[in-house]
Amino acid sequence: MAMLKLFCARASVHGLARQGLIPLCATQQNRTHFKQVGQQPPNLEWRPIMDRAATSVFWNEMFKGIGICLGMILKEPANINYPFEKGPLSPRFRGEHALRRYPSGEERCIACKLCEAICPAQAITIEAETRADGSRRTTRYDIDMTKCIYCGFCQEACPVDAIVEGPNFEYSTETREELLYNKEKLLSNGDKWETEIAANLQADYLYR
Amino acid sequence: MASFRSVIVNSYKILRQNNGVIGSFLKLFRHDDLKWGTCIGEDKFGNKYYQNNYYFYGKNRWVSFPPSVGFDFDASQVPPEWHRWLQYITDEPPSTHPLPKRNWMADHTENLTGSSKEYVPYSTTRPKIEAWVPPKK
Repeated sequence: MAMLKLFCARASVHGLARQGLIPLCATQQNRTHFKQVGQQPPNLEWRPIMDRAATSVFWNEMFKGIGICLGMILKEPANINYPFEKGPLSPRFRGEHALRRYPSGEERCIACKLCEAICPAQAITIEAETRADGSRRTTRYDIDMTKCIYCGFCQEACPVDAIVEGPNFEYSTETREELLYNKEKLLSNGDKWETEIAANLQADYLYR
Repeated sequence: MASFRSVIVNSYKILRQNNGVIGSFLKLFRHDDLKWGTCIGEDKFGNKYYQNNYYFYGKNRWVSFPPSVGFDFDASQVPPEWHRWLQYITDEPPSTHPLPKRNWMADHTENLTGSSKEYVPYSTTRPKIEAWVPPKK
């Protein structure tokens, strides 16, 4: 019996603590700052009703949009007018290929075929022969510009700076065969663009 | 109101540089743009190069193709030394800082594709296999 009484007293103490003491001691959060994120019901006072009616009758939002359009028309356009103006280009730009010459006019390429070996697209074909004066030069230097991926490995591999990717990118053609460059075409590219190629290499030599 | 004043001043300068209203209209028709700037130089093909840093970077240098090419102007008509300046690789125009010239260097040509002088690929070596020509008796 005493055991039962003790059990009852424990239960009643526990119940007292749950109902009276814990709510008093614990800090409770009082959440009052709710924000409604759903669609609000329209305010049905007379004044807001009149405001809404005026907004739609007088096309307020339409005129706001027209105003933004007008502002954009009067802004300075951010376009570059291409054939007359051009964007900035790096001296390291890798464009159309060219075979360079020494200042004496002798062609640089010694047919070491390093560019042919490193070309990941296998776009370069080289055949070489010994010339009459005993120097080794190419007889065939073909680049398939439709295969080329313009990675620049050929000019990195070249030990005599013969094959370079020049700054020209305006060589689009009407037929595909015009992009199958041979040695003469590459040398003539070099002769045309050598002024700029040499100046770009000179501008960049400290970083190589 | 300084911007309105500069608009009026620029309009006046554009009209004066492009020979009046009719000249400005023709310029706008051909170049799709009306600008004024100082002439930096002219190459041997007659292209004139202008600069005005009032416009933002990328629009502040431009080329004006000669009237002789008409509407057949092309970006490849710009020779390499001026191409270098026009593409902002350098700030020094070749009119004041000429690039070295060798006598083996070739003249600039525009992109000749589609014309009779276009590049046609050919082999620069003898063929490996040649057809047998029967000996004549």
